Amino acid sequence: MKKLIVMLNIILFLVLANSVFSQTQNKKNVVQTKNSCLTCHKEDDNMPDDYNPNNVHASVGLNCVDCHGGDSTSDDEDIAMSKAKGFVGAPEKTEIPQFCGKCHSNINYMRKYNPRAETDQVSQYYTSVHGKQLKKGDENVAACTDCHTAHSIFKVNNPQSTVYALNVPGTCNKCHGDAKLISKYKLNPNIYEEYSNSVHGIALLKNKDTGAPACNDCHGNHGAMPPGVNSIANVCGLCHVNNLKYFEASKMGKAFKEEDYHGCEECHGNHGIKKPTDDFIGVSDKAVCINCHDEGEDGYIVAETIHGELKKLTSMYDSAKVKLSEVKKIGMDDVDISFILKDVHQSIIKARTKVHTFDTVQVAKVVNTGLKTAFKAIKKADDEISDYHTRTNGFGIATGIFLILIILIYLKLKTIEKKQ
Amino acid sequence: MGQTRRKFLNFLLSITGIGALGAILYPVFSYLVPPKIAEANVNSVKVGKVMHFPPDSSKILKFGREPVIVVRDKQGEFHALSAVCTHLQCIVQFRTDKESIWCACHNGLYDLKGRNISGPPPKPLKEFKVNIVNDELIISKMG
Repeated sequence: MKKLIVMLNIILFLVLANSVFSQTQNKKNVVQTKNSCLTCHKEDDNMPDDYNPNNVHASVGLNCVDCHGGDSTSDDEDIAMSKAKGFVGAPEKTEIPQFCGKCHSNINYMRKYNPRAETDQVSQYYTSVHGKQLKKGDENVAACTDCHTAHSIFKVNNPQSTVYALNVPGTCNKCHGDAKLISKYKLNPNIYEEYSNSVHGIALLKNKDTGAPACNDCHGNHGAMPPGVNSIANVCGLCHVNNLKYFEASKMGKAFKEEDYHGCEECHGNHGIKKPTDDFIGVSDKAVCINCHDEGEDGYIVAETIHGELKKLTSMYDSAKVKLSEVKKIGMDDVDISFILKDVHQSIIKARTKVHTFDTVQVAKVVNTGLKTAFKAIKKADDEISDYHTRTNGFGIATGIFLILIILIYLKLKTIEKKQ
Repeated sequence: MGQTRRKFLNFLLSITGIGALGAILYPVFSYLVPPKIAEANVNSVKVGKVMHFPPDSSKILKFGREPVIVVRDKQGEFHALSAVCTHLQCIVQFRTDKESIWCACHNGLYDLKGRNISGPPPKPLKEFKVNIVNDELIISKMG
């Protein structure tokens, strides 16, 4: 019986040891899968120019054969790159979307790596201007690798990625800034320069605000298209919600629709959009209103009135800010004033947004609320400044009194001395 | 002549003596009855009775220099967050239809924990601690 137990223990030990050993071997196999492609291409100094060993595909354990086919376990070039082993090599330009789509359009495959992966990029791509042109055989247009690269692909939230928010304008500009190429399509090659100096471009490229819109935020990603007349306002309205809401409900918005005007773009422009100042509305040379409205027209009067309202509020805000800096300079309490001024600033933002109603009454209502708040801030600042003067004057008077007292005591003592 | 001078000196001494006494007592009095000024460094603020915050409502309150939005959600739970959007510093608001904090400037959206969930805001809103003591709501800085 004892012998039997010993035997069983030995068998059990061997089974467990074998299982552990084989698991370790399997792990080793996964990590150290032979990749003869890299070995030979490195030896021959024939690696792709854009190859980055840390690319997203390599990081999940995929290697060359997963895209290009063949057998990377064989050192024999003829076997490794044989059609029998499924070798397809580099695809033709027109084949690239399908080439990438082998995996990226297959939800069952993609789920292994990312259960939330989207798999409609290829079908979206063929709805884009790029995709439609490629289908026609135009090899100048962008396919997957033109934006994503072939061998340096990273996830979109990785700053190394060519499609990371901050890198998108530069990526698009590789083709759209090529005057020779883009002139064939009668497109403007200076869009990148225009965009870089725009309010959005400065926010994204200079201030590194990844929330600012890059090319794809207005034109789409894989289904990239220039927004049509009817969708421009909606594109802008994705972020500028209230501006769009007020504009659409306004008389102007309705007239624009009837005339098939380009909504926001008519006044603000597109790629080179500048941060609008209060002079943007009104009747000065800087105002856009006078492009359509002549003196004496209703639109002219509305523009002039709204400009006046905005100026009233911003001037009052500036005066309050000057008072605030005075309060800070003399070291008095500025907490309440700073807090109130935040409200005034908010009123300015609201008033500027209400401009899109093109309704003087609505703008004036917000402006008046802001003015009342600004008055409150100025009153508080005046109180603080007056308190400061009371304190300094009081200190001066007290010092004077003490000084006179000292002199008088001195004289009194002298008188007493004389008496004695 | 000498007596008149002495009298005048005594008179002046009395007046300045009273003035000096006033100059000494005034700061003492000011210390005992401080003027109505807010403290520069605020660590906690009483924001009112719980009953003043019905469910599914919000209020923007002053916390030192900072506006803080206090939200009572549908379940009655309180949330206190900085009311300054982390994108371009606009003041946010509670949207009952979205049950979220919304910034009207660029359509930024935060959940009631202050996490930025959509739109341009780059980071979450600063969260404040909410305590209820004797039916009174007190918000204070985290940590």
